[in-house]
Amino acid sequence: MTETSHLVRRLPNDIGGLESPPIQRTEHELEPWEKRCHALADVLDFHKIINTEEKRRGVEALGAEVIGKLTYYERWIVAFANILFQKGLLTPEQVALKMDEVEARWSAGQVS
Amino acid sequence: MALSNFDRPSASPQSRIVFATGEKPVFGEGDQVRILSRSPVGHYRVPQYLRGKQGVIETVIEPAAVNNEEEAYGRNAGARRHYYRVAIPMTEIWPDYAGSIRDGLHIEIYETWLERRRDDRTF
Amino acid sequence: MTGHSDHDHRHDDHAEIVESAKPGYYEMMEIAIRELLIERKMFGANEIRQQIEVLDSRTPALGAKIVARAWINPIFKARLLANGRAACEEFGISFYDDTQLIVLENTDKVHNLIVCTLCSCYPRPVLGLPPDWYKQKPYRARAVIEPRAVLAEFGTHISDDVDVRVSDSTAMVRYLVLPMRPRGTEEYSEDELAALVTRDTMIGVVPVTVNARS
Repeated sequence: MTETSHLVRRLPNDIGGLESPPIQRTEHELEPWEKRCHALADVLDFHKIINTEEKRRGVEALGAEVIGKLTYYERWIVAFANILFQKGLLTPEQVALKMDEVEARWSAGQVS
Repeated sequence: MALSNFDRPSASPQSRIVFATGEKPVFGEGDQVRILSRSPVGHYRVPQYLRGKQGVIETVIEPAAVNNEEEAYGRNAGARRHYYRVAIPMTEIWPDYAGSIRDGLHIEIYETWLERRRDDRTF
Repeated sequence: MTGHSDHDHRHDDHAEIVESAKPGYYEMMEIAIRELLIERKMFGANEIRQQIEVLDSRTPALGAKIVARAWINPIFKARLLANGRAACEEFGISFYDDTQLIVLENTDKVHNLIVCTLCSCYPRPVLGLPPDWYKQKPYRARAVIEPRAVLAEFGTHISDDVDVRVSDSTAMVRYLVLPMRPRGTEEYSEDELAALVTRDTMIGVVPVTVNARS
């Protein structure tokens, strides 16, 4: 057993029983895009394009640093991108170009 | 349905039902079980804090379901087995547990992660 | 080029507000992925809209109604404890896939608490979306090892003659706590009872009190 195996043996989300600080009872109203993201997850699961368990695995696969630094729905949407690429449903280039288009539409909207 | 028995006149008045693998639960309520200790690479849904712990089957969850560890890699259908709601005393999980000795934890565990405890009664 | 009114509607929203914030990186990713998949007809824009309405319709008030009914009607309560999903369907509440619901009754001998240590499994059809704290590490890590200390942080003190049972959701079962009916509510109507039942009482971190705001 090498000294790094614990990083593989224990998934980053497997935290039951680990030391942790007091609970902070934070709540926030979902931003519109977060709600759309949640709706997207439900629709993807309904169609079994990406089922809920695949989403969970996809989030785990982001790794501890990304999981620790991205918010809940940010993790979901990045995981979805990765899974869609793995399944050959979308390509990184398509998503990148579309994101540029979304940004350009916003900028055009600001000019008016 | 076992056709050979169906064809046999009067030999067995009832047709014999043969269950497919996984169709019938292996464990039943009250069975004493151990959660296995294996260490998968990749996705798992049995938390590390419960590996190797012993408990009792409280409920057999119906219906039988696809293994969620495989579901995570895209398997949406196919072979199904049962999940079981397992009751485990907190003192079994945590040697220094600070609450009541009667406190407990309950969790769903897939059939492939369970074995009978050696001291289980047989019938 | 999308001709779908879904995004055009949102684009108009942005255009109306001159000082609107630029969508962040992840929001742009969400918009891009959703539009690309709709273009490819993997699902329709209307399905996303519909699902947002479903999400908005789910609040803890649904769970509260079920709790109130169980308090008033022992035959319903028996059905609820025997098969939570079927009992919820009597209220028109549906669960997705083969998800089951187990309702856990708090008594003067047992106090139940629910958690999902691995992620954030939660009985969404009856409670809506979970609060941030339920999804974050401190609650998830500590609820299974020191539930009484966690409960104390919520102001809930369980005496030693009451057993604490923690349910860790990891698979196809979701949990709802049926909290104890507070004393002094014998004359309450079902609606008045439901108004006492807050989300956190159905997660199990606090008991129902008569002075609670719903």
